[in-house]
Amino acid sequence: MTSASSSGDETSDPKPNPITKPPEDQLAALALSDTDSQANGVANESPRGNNHNEIENEEEVAALTNSAPSGSSEVVESSGGGGGGILRARSNSELEADGPESPSSSGYAGGRGSSSASSDGSGIDEIAAVSDVEVVDGVSDSQAPWVPGKRHVDEDDASISWRKRKKHFFILSNSGKPIYSRHGDEHKLAGFSATLQAIISFVENGGDRVKLVRAGKHQVVFLVKGPIYLVCISCTEEPYESLRMQLELIYGQMLLILTKSVNRCFEKNPKFDMTPLLGGTDIVFSSLIHSFSWNPATFLHAYTCLPLAYATRQAAGAILQDVADSGVLFAILMCKHKVISLVGAQKASLHPDDMLLLSNFVMASESFRTSESFSPICLPRYNAMAFLYAYVHFFDADTYLMLLTTSSEAFYHLKDCRIRIEMVLLKSSVLSEIQRSMLDGGMRVEELPLDPLPRSGSFSPHLNQHTLPTDSPDRFREPYDGVGGPAGLWHFVYRSIFLDQYVSSEFSAPINSARQQKRLYRAYQKLYASMHERGIGPHKTQFRRDENYVLLCWVTQDFELYAAFDPLADKALAIKTCNRVCQWVKDVENEIFLLGASPFSW
Amino acid sequence: MGLASASTATTGPEAMQLCIFDLRRGQNEGQELDKILFFYPADLPFSAQFSVIGLSEGLITFTRIFSPEAACEAIEADRHSHVFYEAEPDIWMVMVVEKSMEYEAKWRTDALRKVLKEVHSLFVMFHGSVRAMLDKDPGGVLARSHLYSFVMDYLGDFLVGKKLLMPSFRDSLKERGTVQMLTVGREAAIEVQSLVRVLESSAGNLPCHSLILFQDLLVSTTLSPDDTVNLFAYAVLRLTPHVLSSGASSWSYLRKGATANVSSSSILSDSGTVPEQYHGSHNNSSAGDNSSRVIRPLKLDKWSKGNDGFLATDIWGAEPSTGVSATPTVFLHQSEERMYLCAHQHKSLTLLFLIPVSSVLNGEQGLSTVKQQVLENVSLKLLKVEEKLSKGWGGENAYHVSGYRYLLVDGDRNVSRASPTGKVTTLSKESLLALSKLREEVDREKSRAQWDSPGHEKELEVSIRAKNNAWVIARVTRGKELYMVLEKANETLLYASDAVEKFSNRYCGGAFSLN
Repeated sequence: MTSASSSGDETSDPKPNPITKPPEDQLAALALSDTDSQANGVANESPRGNNHNEIENEEEVAALTNSAPSGSSEVVESSGGGGGGILRARSNSELEADGPESPSSSGYAGGRGSSSASSDGSGIDEIAAVSDVEVVDGVSDSQAPWVPGKRHVDEDDASISWRKRKKHFFILSNSGKPIYSRHGDEHKLAGFSATLQAIISFVENGGDRVKLVRAGKHQVVFLVKGPIYLVCISCTEEPYESLRMQLELIYGQMLLILTKSVNRCFEKNPKFDMTPLLGGTDIVFSSLIHSFSWNPATFLHAYTCLPLAYATRQAAGAILQDVADSGVLFAILMCKHKVISLVGAQKASLHPDDMLLLSNFVMASESFRTSESFSPICLPRYNAMAFLYAYVHFFDADTYLMLLTTSSEAFYHLKDCRIRIEMVLLKSSVLSEIQRSMLDGGMRVEELPLDPLPRSGSFSPHLNQHTLPTDSPDRFREPYDGVGGPAGLWHFVYRSIFLDQYVSSEFSAPINSARQQKRLYRAYQKLYASMHERGIGPHKTQFRRDENYVLLCWVTQDFELYAAFDPLADKALAIKTCNRVCQWVKDVENEIFLLGASPFSW
Repeated sequence: MGLASASTATTGPEAMQLCIFDLRRGQNEGQELDKILFFYPADLPFSAQFSVIGLSEGLITFTRIFSPEAACEAIEADRHSHVFYEAEPDIWMVMVVEKSMEYEAKWRTDALRKVLKEVHSLFVMFHGSVRAMLDKDPGGVLARSHLYSFVMDYLGDFLVGKKLLMPSFRDSLKERGTVQMLTVGREAAIEVQSLVRVLESSAGNLPCHSLILFQDLLVSTTLSPDDTVNLFAYAVLRLTPHVLSSGASSWSYLRKGATANVSSSSILSDSGTVPEQYHGSHNNSSAGDNSSRVIRPLKLDKWSKGNDGFLATDIWGAEPSTGVSATPTVFLHQSEERMYLCAHQHKSLTLLFLIPVSSVLNGEQGLSTVKQQVLENVSLKLLKVEEKLSKGWGGENAYHVSGYRYLLVDGDRNVSRASPTGKVTTLSKESLLALSKLREEVDREKSRAQWDSPGHEKELEVSIRAKNNAWVIARVTRGKELYMVLEKANETLLYASDAVEKFSNRYCGGAFSLN
């Protein structure tokens, strides 16, 4: 939020910056807090310059105003804030020349996420019309970089380009004051914000509560949370339930930064302006919104683990447990959005949504990466009213440790804990195993075994210090490598219900481009919503065939399986293959899931 | 005042509201009332009416910011669903239904929109467009009085007891706005063909159209698809032997166990007077007298069969000179021509033929000659066709397929066929709810595909095994749709797919088969 200049006026305390103020002052303190002012600083400088290395794959595709319905001629635009987004558009398409980040091993290309670049609108987020932008043809499948942070700040509701954005998110107060807008400058959107407020209160005055408005391809989704109103306007094909859940997550992200006690400010002063409190956190929201188009955790309500040999994960878990016993509420070791290990103090359990929001907050805020930080955060599902304190330290670019405590004075203790953990991780070579796993990736549909593996089987040779050699005859190899797995299997997601965890296969051909990945993601999202229909769900099985895929879904008491096949796949073979996938996952669950140590099993 | 007061008194004003308004009217402050062309319940305070219309108008404007090509279609709120339909440019119909805690109050938005669409199409067929009426009488009295009688008469068919019941999830295996056809053998088809030919020729050189029904099923039509749907709907509502004998419309008959009871029909037939507002009390138009004579084509129990087999009604009044009842007229959608609607009935066979008003000299007298002439020419054929069709007719469960509950829709031809209502009622609530939800999903996919690539037809196959183990299935291919519930199916997906395949091969000419 370039306009929120609070950080410029506030002192940027040298780190570490343990906060010792009484809880009442936390809200006010937040604007002062280390991380925020850091993030703010970033935003106030040229975000693009600063985040060059952060560039991910995402599209911001603009179509020409009148003529192009979507698809004929586009320009890649991804202005990351600051004025002159349109001018930037050109430099951005040049920026693309850096080349798309190749799909990394993280399961979703490009770590913080891949998303797609594309032009023709189907399943793509950003179609905009900007008439005075140079039109670049044929960029359709190129992977325009995703740049974190604010977009299109020069726009407002009078701009045609703004109106044509595929997905808007707004946060406003019940007096109609804008708090956050994904696209455009909040201050210029005051009038629009007042309109949204008027709609909500008009219906409320009639004794009702508006949830959804449909118009053609568009859906307007409303969520009222006390004095905070959240609205999404989208012409993506996501179902209402998914969009509503995304608003819930955005609200959760806001609580993570401010806690629910922000409501009190509105009680005292209905005209309270919240924007300064969120100053500099634009980047956190935009990163979360970006994850709505690539991270299955946002609709599955489960987290995923980095694949690791059982012993390696055990070693990491043991040292975290050690630390947790010394008064740490949660100790979480993560690599990008994947969990390596996590441990909670007795009786404390961590909701997957909280983990998603926390890791998004940490990964999106540049300041956490530069040195160890101590920051007040709130876990909305754990306790929406209170702050916890998060000690965050990055061991390398992707791997980080989060230690959560209730004590605002625990910084030095947590620092000591971190040093102990780091030593153990280094000594037991856990960190290098993590690096290796990152490179090797996770389950690949091409490697789906023909027959059940022996009990101690391993899905991937690199993890496997004890069993199968790479060229094991057990390993299923289709003659047509490069077009997915057997029976036309392209991809799958398996969610373990008891563990609150999911595993998803690596993307392989033909789901190569970011655009195809996003389309598949959206198809899963729709399938999930359809299976979990309110009031009548969950259904048991679903088979769905359209132009793009055959999708199969199983929901049992223990797990949910979502699998995508070639649209011409044979039904009987597809079913058989799904059974094999389930067996495979069970065979290697020691390595792909965090078992036993789960705080949910208390 | 009939329906209005009766239902507001018993179910409260909120159970269902229906309004029709014109965005071009009442632009200035203080004149907002002028927008309203129809409101049910009519006795709802104006402030409450304004609130519905204000919200609707606000959201139409708001959604056009983002979606200029398609404004607001529906609002979902905690307690109500609002369904929008832009019947004519700037003339909107909005239905507000209350979501009660009861299980029954679950609708499919598209099914409700089709109710709005149907009443509007029928209105236009009899009275011409609302806009034309407003142009003719800018004060709005003409349009208001006609809309009031027409829509109230139409809504009367949804009265069950003292409650208006809109189509719910229980009607998921039905498709309003489509025609149900009788399947006839080859021989009978030839007979029908020759009947149609004789009919056409016996009208001399008048460009005449015909529509033939057997029971509540269509046998033949020479009208355009749109006109066929409208006339078919009207015939099934008011003209078929079943309606004439029971005094109930087919729709209320189809409702589970609800043969229109005495109370509802008497509520209806009493509703003669139009409330004050529709007489233009709030504007100073002098057209008041015009509205005193409003033709009510949907008024119940107004049709009867004469000795000559022609169906007669005094709805259209009588010719002052002769005292003979005036023959109904309708507008054809396609040619926009005014046609006389003549209906003849022989046992289960209903024959509708339409003759251009402009081509008949001497009004009723001339028409009467034409009618007699036609009857003379076709009466033998009529007997023969009726006999043939009766012989081949399998009764009301003729289209039941054992083990299946289905709906088959051919969107290109506006034709549908479904399991008999009596059989559908054996399905559990859970299955029907799951189907209703699935249909909602398919509706959305279809409309999405329309927006994304107009003309490109959606291909989709969905099979869901619901919590109660029933298979709920939707197939969309080349403009045809098949919906199915299999409750006693074996538990495998392959079994269910196989069942669909068999059905498709045997009853759909393989349209849904995967080869």
